[in-house]
Amino acid sequence: MSIIRSRTAQVAVVAATAGALALTGCSSNSNSNAKEKTKTKQDAASQAKAVVFGDAAASTGPAAAVAGARSGGTATVYQEDDFSHLDPGQIYVSDGGLLSKLLFRGLTTYKEDAKGNQTVVGDVATDSGKMSDGGKTWTYTLKSGVKDETGHEINSADIRHSIERLYAPFITDGPVYIQQWLSGGGTAYRKAYAGPFKGNKHLPDSVLATPDDKTVVFHFKDAQPDLPQALAMAGYSIVPEKTDTQAKYDTKPVAIGPYKIAEYKSGKSLKIVRNTNWDEKTDATRHAYVDGFNIEYNHDKDDQTKTILADRGEAKNAIMFTGQVATNELKDVVQDPAAMKRTVQGYAPYVWQLNFNMDRVKDKRVRDAIALAMPSTAVYKADGGAYGGEPASSLLSPTTPGFDASIDPFNRGKKPNGDIAAAKKLIDEAGAKGMKLVYAYANTPVRQQQAVLIADALNKIGLDIQKKEIDSATWYEQMGKVKNGLDLYMTGWGQDWPSGNTVIPPSFDGTQIQDGSSNYSHTNDAHVNSEILRIQKITDAAAAAKEWAKLSQYITEKINPAAPIYYTKVFQIAGSNVGGLRYSTVTSYTDVTQIFLKK
Amino acid sequence: MLRFLLRRSSGAILILVLISAFTFFMFFAIPQDPAMLACGKNCSPDALAIIHKNLGLDKPVLVQYWNYMYGIFAGRNFDVGHCSAPCFGVSFNNQQMVWDTIKDRFPLTLSLTAGGLIVFLTGGLSAGLIAAAKRGTWLDKVFSGVSLVMSSFQIYFLGPVVLGIFVYSTGWLSKPKYVPFTEDLAKWFMGLLIPWLVMATIFTANYTRIARSSMIEQLQEEHVRAARAKGMGARYVFMRYAWRGSLIPIATLVGMDIAALLGGGMVTELVFSLNGIGRLARDSVVDKDLPTLMGVMLISAAFILIMNVLVDALYAVIDPRVRLA
Amino acid sequence: MTTLTQTEDAKAPTGSDAFLSVRDLRVQFSTEDGIVKAVDGLSFDLERGKTLGIVGESGSGKSVTNLSILGLHNRKATSVEGSMMLDGQELNGASERDLEQLRGNKMAMIFQDSLTALSPYYTVGRQISEPFRKHTGASKGESRARAIEMLGKVGIPDPKNRVDDYPHQFSGGMRQRAMIAMSLVCNPELLIADEPTTALDVTVQAQILDLLKDLQQEFGSAIIMITHDLGVVANMADDLLVMYAGRAVERGSVREVLKAGQHPYTWGLLGSMPRLSADVNEPLRPIPGSPPSLLNPPSGCAFHPRCEFPSLVAGDGKCSTLRPELPTGRAAACHLTAEQKQQVFIETIQPRLV
Repeated sequence: MSIIRSRTAQVAVVAATAGALALTGCSSNSNSNAKEKTKTKQDAASQAKAVVFGDAAASTGPAAAVAGARSGGTATVYQEDDFSHLDPGQIYVSDGGLLSKLLFRGLTTYKEDAKGNQTVVGDVATDSGKMSDGGKTWTYTLKSGVKDETGHEINSADIRHSIERLYAPFITDGPVYIQQWLSGGGTAYRKAYAGPFKGNKHLPDSVLATPDDKTVVFHFKDAQPDLPQALAMAGYSIVPEKTDTQAKYDTKPVAIGPYKIAEYKSGKSLKIVRNTNWDEKTDATRHAYVDGFNIEYNHDKDDQTKTILADRGEAKNAIMFTGQVATNELKDVVQDPAAMKRTVQGYAPYVWQLNFNMDRVKDKRVRDAIALAMPSTAVYKADGGAYGGEPASSLLSPTTPGFDASIDPFNRGKKPNGDIAAAKKLIDEAGAKGMKLVYAYANTPVRQQQAVLIADALNKIGLDIQKKEIDSATWYEQMGKVKNGLDLYMTGWGQDWPSGNTVIPPSFDGTQIQDGSSNYSHTNDAHVNSEILRIQKITDAAAAAKEWAKLSQYITEKINPAAPIYYTKVFQIAGSNVGGLRYSTVTSYTDVTQIFLKK
Repeated sequence: MLRFLLRRSSGAILILVLISAFTFFMFFAIPQDPAMLACGKNCSPDALAIIHKNLGLDKPVLVQYWNYMYGIFAGRNFDVGHCSAPCFGVSFNNQQMVWDTIKDRFPLTLSLTAGGLIVFLTGGLSAGLIAAAKRGTWLDKVFSGVSLVMSSFQIYFLGPVVLGIFVYSTGWLSKPKYVPFTEDLAKWFMGLLIPWLVMATIFTANYTRIARSSMIEQLQEEHVRAARAKGMGARYVFMRYAWRGSLIPIATLVGMDIAALLGGGMVTELVFSLNGIGRLARDSVVDKDLPTLMGVMLISAAFILIMNVLVDALYAVIDPRVRLA
Repeated sequence: MTTLTQTEDAKAPTGSDAFLSVRDLRVQFSTEDGIVKAVDGLSFDLERGKTLGIVGESGSGKSVTNLSILGLHNRKATSVEGSMMLDGQELNGASERDLEQLRGNKMAMIFQDSLTALSPYYTVGRQISEPFRKHTGASKGESRARAIEMLGKVGIPDPKNRVDDYPHQFSGGMRQRAMIAMSLVCNPELLIADEPTTALDVTVQAQILDLLKDLQQEFGSAIIMITHDLGVVANMADDLLVMYAGRAVERGSVREVLKAGQHPYTWGLLGSMPRLSADVNEPLRPIPGSPPSLLNPPSGCAFHPRCEFPSLVAGDGKCSTLRPELPTGRAAACHLTAEQKQQVFIETIQPRLV
């Protein structure tokens, strides 16, 4: 998941972190509570395993049936905001990712088992990809019989077009990994190629080749071992060449997945129905048990929770996409065993961290003291509670391969609410008593509350914290400025796919520091920079995962540019008639490809 | 009358132009960049520049304004196709023609306004008239007291309470939902019943109070007494002489309320999860969606101006002194 | 000065054969502060074709009396006691329905300010013809013709066209005429004119008064003329009733009261009236003090706090303890003896009036 920039994405994160009341004091529930927590810890363990690249057998459809599933019926989806985009090339954020699971297909996708173990498999391709030339060349062969909603069979030209169109100027909101890997970092790729719409030019075969109808070959300058995972992003879904309407595509895309758009009323509702040209035999991961989804916008999380909890009428068939159980109704949900059976929960990939502006807070002892003093428990509870988060000990999320809960440099395990004594000692050692630091936060209720907690803790250890409130609408813009004039600021980051590669480089690559960059701490460490380059070339996913974890540990322990504060968790509820409920680690919400209606 | 309308509408157009300019330039005066919302990850100055160009934000603000205003009358071409007049541009947020979105949202807002208006006018005016006629009796005190309490309610308080009781807890009524009445009259009615009643509760109180107080004021007018002195019956004088005079403040209030509601009963729409003009207005601000914001502002302003002209025309119908002055 | 002692045939309450006979009328409002005795034991008679002037300061009970006759007082908050016989029919306690039949028909009222008393929302013609239709059952066309006729009678030029005008299109004098037309449209036998000319300028005032006199002659109506303007009374009225604090303090023919007033309050009114013949340097003599509160009227003679002559009255402080009654006939409610009254009037008051 990207940094949270658009409104929808902001809502997603707010929802993801708005969570719950603290329930620890409630004795009658403490047992079941503990169980629940253990369960999620186990889930996290599987979530953190390195992703497996699946072969042809794993990529062959149909997907294993869901126990007890039946076909038919229309599910209702209550959603707060409209999707930012329907053009898959513009989809980056989670809600769009959820929808794209139903509407679109890419070369690859994730297959999840009931435990959350993930395998990257071929979706439209026959497998997760054949790597050669040390990871610089990737070859994909297409399955037969994959058709879009018009009946057109997807061929290699469509794949090439799907990649090429991402260079067009109207595509601005989607992921840029593959474009940059193929044609150059930053926005250089746009200068190298302006897309297929101007003068019908294609990328040269030395970059992207389609030797025959069924074969696509990517040639990268550097090794790109993560390509199968990047290709599984919603943003790299296939847009058939002939029916691409360019800018207009964002309002009426062509479906390849099990569902297609029947009616779209921007900002109001979206109805999707079966795509009769989708063949489950070609699809290793998706089911399409329900006949369609009626997605209604403008239901805030209170509304969603109340309506689904009341479980009347069409709400019996309802699920949440990016909504979460609202704090106000949390108690009603967790104290009702029948309602709890209708919930799903798991870790979201976000880590909230307190960035130090490395240009200004130069003494590591001060940074360490601040990290030690962080009142993680109070801070995440202000954003939800037991169901909304957990104290974070690492910059990697529990969902990121290589995550190791035992690495805990700031003693979160024993002192989840801050080790004031240890921190104070460090401040005294550094002679930083009375040091003035500016703590910036967005002007939303949650962030304001957290600011009080954080400033209190830091004042306690002898610092002089100046709180500075910033308009939430311009928050990331302000933080993204290199000369932002601030010392401390909390930001959230989530992986784009389960790999440290989508966490460490965006946040700590010192060669990328510029206005708008997501290296908010302005970390520029020679060792980190060189390690990033080295690890990115490792083609073995498990080995890479270990290296990213090691680098993450190095960053935290040796540099400490950002103090981990809390991980976010997702807690959703569905109507009583919805079957096949499970948490999807890939989308970090209810798995929409599994659900069915019981009657 | 024709001259009156001509004079008023030319003034209205001038005001609309001023409002449009104000909105447009204010939008650029506040430090915000709508392009940020479409810039995704790794947003760099270069990437922003491309989006600026896509949205037309790279041109001078004055040129942008001119293009926008020109489009309203003559239509414009966009990447997503031709936008015929009246063209309020293409949303920054979702590539939809703003005018289409407004047309799509308007029926709900109109239904909400019309239904609510009928409920609160009938309820409010009859309660007010009865209270005025029975001034000082227990009936008057009950009506006045109830309306005082009701008017201190707010939709964002009353709405969730009503939903909680009648929808979530008991399930007696279904959740508010808009179904076009052309599609299913009964569903349209049932779907909007709660918003109408909740809205009406608050508005009814205002109308009860204004009808009561202006009737009481009118009943103390000398001409009302003079009519009684001529031997005209109490009811006749009440309904002809006093009521006629009360119409002016009531018409003023109705006009303002209709304009405000057509411009979007934002709170009502948000509380009941309905998608009308009000919700659109809020979203356009949150999304920094200038074309949609402009469209909604202009439509709302136009309603206010139209209602003003209508109310003024109505004054002339009600009061001959205005007509001939 | 024989005229001063001469007793004319005052139209005092002598019997019930009068057209309008009011006996011991008491009107009280209850307010939050207490009970207001707006009219307190008022009696008078009026014959057909005659005009009774009622004078007094604001709040003396003039208007309340007339509203009570018409039954237009606020019934819930007001208690009316006593008798008001109109042509043998008791008005006090009459049903609203009966009163509606009488109002605008047998008895009508001319209001002080035609600008407020005519509805701005309906044409003059409609407002004139409305009571005519109601009381005579005439058709729309007939009542319109009647309205035009009446407008002509009250001296509106081009009544055929003006009948469709709205009140604000009329000048003040014309509007007053229109209102008179509205009152007279059913030939009322009793006409109550409440300060009918106060709001008009002097020349128009005279015209309107002449008009009223002419119309009275034509229709033979009895008129109650309420005013604080003694000049108007002198011009119009046959008899005069002076009211103070809800009570009649002096009664007599216009000539008697104006030429030989017997009550110190009447003297005060006379003295405060400007005269053309007076020296410009001669100041007016307003009555000192202000009208009493009717919530809590002064004890004894209500006028005593403002009276110049209580010291002349025999008996210690009689004026502030004993309320003087108004005898029947030509009389004044004052403790001064007849001789004292005459003496004071001749020696003190008359010189002021020259």
